[in-house]
Amino acid sequence: MEIGIDVGGTFTDAVLLEDGYVRAVAKVPTGEDPLEPMLAALDTVLAGVPSERVGRVVLSTTLITNLIAHRKYDPVALVLIPGPGLPFDHYHINSATYIVSGAMDYRGREIEPLNEDEVRAAARDIAARGYRQVAVVGKFSPRNAAHELRAAAILKETVPELHVELGHLVTGQLNFPRRIITAFLTCATRQRYATFARAVAEGLRRRGLTARAFVLKADGGTLPLEAAARYPVETVFSGPAASTLGVQALLPPGETAVVLDAGGTTTDLALILSGTPLVASRGLKVDDQFTQVRGLAVKSVPVGGDSVLERIGRELVVYSDRVDRPYCLGGSRPTPTDALRVLGHTEIGDPGRAYEAMALLASGSQSPEEVAGEVLLMVTEIIAGEIEAMFREWQEEPAYRVWEVLQRRTRKRPHLLVGVGGAAALAPLVAQHLGARALVPPYAAVANAIGAAVARTTLMISLHVDTARGRYVVAEEGYQGELEDPRHFGEHSAVQLATAWLRKRAAALGAGDEVDGVEILRQDVFNIVREWRTVGRLFDLVVQTPRGILTHVKGVSS
Amino acid sequence: MRPTGIIFFPAFDWAISPTHPEREERLLYTRDQIFEEGLLDLPGIKEFSPRLATFLDVARVHFCVPHVRDQVRDAHLIAAGACLVLADCIMSGEVRNAFALVRPPGHHAMRVVHGNRGFCNINNEAITIEYLRRRYGVGRIAVVDSDVHHGDGTQDIFYHDPDVLCISFHQDGRTLYPGTGFTNELGGPGAYLRTINIPLPPGTTDAGLHYVLDNLVLPILRDFEPELIINSAGQDNHYSDPLANMCVTARGYADLTAKLQPHLAVLEGGYAIESALPYVNMAILLALAGYDYSHVREPGYRPGMLRESPEVAAQVRRVVEELRELWENRHRVDPEAIFGKDRFYERQKFVYYDTDDIREFQLERVRRCPDCPGYLTVVSSARHPGGRHYQICGVSIPVRACEECYGEGYATFEAARRTGDYTHVYLQDKATDVFRAYDTETKELLDWEG
Repeated sequence: MEIGIDVGGTFTDAVLLEDGYVRAVAKVPTGEDPLEPMLAALDTVLAGVPSERVGRVVLSTTLITNLIAHRKYDPVALVLIPGPGLPFDHYHINSATYIVSGAMDYRGREIEPLNEDEVRAAARDIAARGYRQVAVVGKFSPRNAAHELRAAAILKETVPELHVELGHLVTGQLNFPRRIITAFLTCATRQRYATFARAVAEGLRRRGLTARAFVLKADGGTLPLEAAARYPVETVFSGPAASTLGVQALLPPGETAVVLDAGGTTTDLALILSGTPLVASRGLKVDDQFTQVRGLAVKSVPVGGDSVLERIGRELVVYSDRVDRPYCLGGSRPTPTDALRVLGHTEIGDPGRAYEAMALLASGSQSPEEVAGEVLLMVTEIIAGEIEAMFREWQEEPAYRVWEVLQRRTRKRPHLLVGVGGAAALAPLVAQHLGARALVPPYAAVANAIGAAVARTTLMISLHVDTARGRYVVAEEGYQGELEDPRHFGEHSAVQLATAWLRKRAAALGAGDEVDGVEILRQDVFNIVREWRTVGRLFDLVVQTPRGILTHVKGVSS
Repeated sequence: MRPTGIIFFPAFDWAISPTHPEREERLLYTRDQIFEEGLLDLPGIKEFSPRLATFLDVARVHFCVPHVRDQVRDAHLIAAGACLVLADCIMSGEVRNAFALVRPPGHHAMRVVHGNRGFCNINNEAITIEYLRRRYGVGRIAVVDSDVHHGDGTQDIFYHDPDVLCISFHQDGRTLYPGTGFTNELGGPGAYLRTINIPLPPGTTDAGLHYVLDNLVLPILRDFEPELIINSAGQDNHYSDPLANMCVTARGYADLTAKLQPHLAVLEGGYAIESALPYVNMAILLALAGYDYSHVREPGYRPGMLRESPEVAAQVRRVVEELRELWENRHRVDPEAIFGKDRFYERQKFVYYDTDDIREFQLERVRRCPDCPGYLTVVSSARHPGGRHYQICGVSIPVRACEECYGEGYATFEAARRTGDYTHVYLQDKATDVFRAYDTETKELLDWEG
């Protein structure tokens, strides 16, 4: 049995799956505390179930998203090693920042040695100012982390009680500013995440659950709950990922669809292409800052079932930042949900109050039905416009190879729109607008929890091999090694090496048994030619555990 | 402020041959640098995605022998298409300027294309210019070619076009491919001084380059008042380039970009793929977007390490002096004194295609028309690597052709089709955007209309 729990902004949802069948669902309001509703939902779906039969609990939480949004994290000092390039003021984020000298190039060759005295001076100042957390990030550290490692050692020597986070261990991809932000946020949230993870583990233990616990990431994969303390930022925006995976589980395998998750305050849009959710081509934007966190390509539209509506003059206005309960559920302001109620698209709430809400918005002699029609047309147009924009972005993703440009031209827009979430009733209206087919599957209201329950562990390894230098780097592990036989190192050896490291990584994170295959995400080979002679080759490989879900939900065939 | 647009298309799966300088690896380190610096995330820089240029876009510029499809690969169409996407963004005002950081390059591709020369098959800048004129009715355009090699392809295409000013500075043709680009190549009778060549001695540094810019290029541009400036942004004037002998730095290139303020910069050559390209490309991009590029520095560069010899500096000044005088007296020139009084101006050319080892003989004939730039006929013969010999005739009718030239152009095309002297006959009617290719043997007539 698997349990999936998604702690959302308004509700916390949970499901219990057994052999692909939904055996129990729960929906409880989310309060201030992140733990309490989660345990309440857990208790609901566990009722009458022998706890030892639960093998897996997957949690999707807004904990880190909220910590970051409200800046409730630990103070972090930054020690940066940028070298030449952009002026340093590009890297000053809102925190104590120490720039030290030293530089690496794109092949990991040292251009300028690390200035150790500057690091020592920074360490003393950091200690004097009371920082306990430091992130050390160097430009091109994924290609050679020697400066980051040396700086960390000096910081620890000087101030032993410091916790030091290293940029190259946080992300293996190139992008220095994003690596800084990602390392900063990782450092800032890790302790709070660890505390939360311990509390969850304790809660599970007290219920006699021996199940393995996982946390959901933005890319729709899971990590073991406690191991994720190394990568807490990866758990941001797991809600939309949960819904998308839920839709994937509720559809037959291989389906292509737009996912429309209409909640109280926002509507999240995502794409499932031939059965696999589309991953964003670049890292996510968190709290208005670009990070290197991999996530699904989700577009959040700030309109939901509970968005406040107002009539100003003749204009109908929907507020993205003002939210009340729908009027038909006892709120004080009209909302799109009231419009859905009036036109019979939903059964929730009091119909009399819904009519009242529409009357409040009436312009001239408009009937409540006419107002509701106007409201839904407006909301539908906003969402449909964003879906169009999402298609365009997908069709215009950056392409750096001829085949990618050619392949992109064959991309066909999906014709199926799947609505889930509280305001899933919007889906058929949006679909009609787009000339697509709509589907609101059974369990649409808890698709997010289903998605959490079926999510699998995802791990990734970036391998960079430079045979001319006889070296290789496994970025995420911070490992830099020598090749045994650089002259005979070929593409096959590269795949083998990457695969071995992926397995090693999985084992280290306590998820060794979750890896039953390898997917190659990127495989580039470049001849290094000097003076018309091939002197070596560069291999760039990114491999990951296969994406996919544990099971499709049974008994919901559409 | 509106952002700078960029299309980065490194064509990681395309090469002329595995060890050729124009190969997959060429922009690899540039990618690493641009990605690691996070330049594509900057608010002042916006990345766009390329599209494929069409055969029509190519036919508007080139007589491809025997056909466009035989000379052009998808990679070429994408590089050219990237420029067109950016041209659209510039014209719509979505971006204030743009950088096509793309390969394969194009500035050695001439009007007639028998094969690849100087690593180029089709001319990305020329295709962009004809597109801009057709789609947006742009009038005067200037091309400033800052590649170390003479931009002979672009010069050839616009040699008789008074609306396109081609300025190329480059290492002296006596010391470097393609061996042309001397001060006496100044344009045809209808476009005299619309071609300016500034051959520079080996060893020219940032100082020499900026002397040329400040005292010649920028004043000429001010006088010409182009609506758009396109920079053929080759980067092989760099001091570390393996194929040339100049001493320009990344900083020198960025300063050039900041002074020139091109609307569109298009990557051309540059083969110091590790020591120059990552830094020069970054500096150019920052300069276009108005960011501080003063901290961009090549590894190993020390201020003062590149000094221009007094002889080089003096030679640079002499060339600038000579051309400046010609430019300032441009209104006093009597074309008949230079070109004679014949109704047609003719020139013969021999063109060597270094990549494909093709020798082409050409006779170009342009009508000296008082009312328009005049229609042009080119007869070209060459044996292709497969062994087949081609003898073609192409007729090109300019954008603002007069009625007479228009009619005569069509008549010339029809007459050439009938003679049987040519294997292929082409018509390029830029006035109404009609392009034809006729195969004498199969009697097949291909027809494109815009």
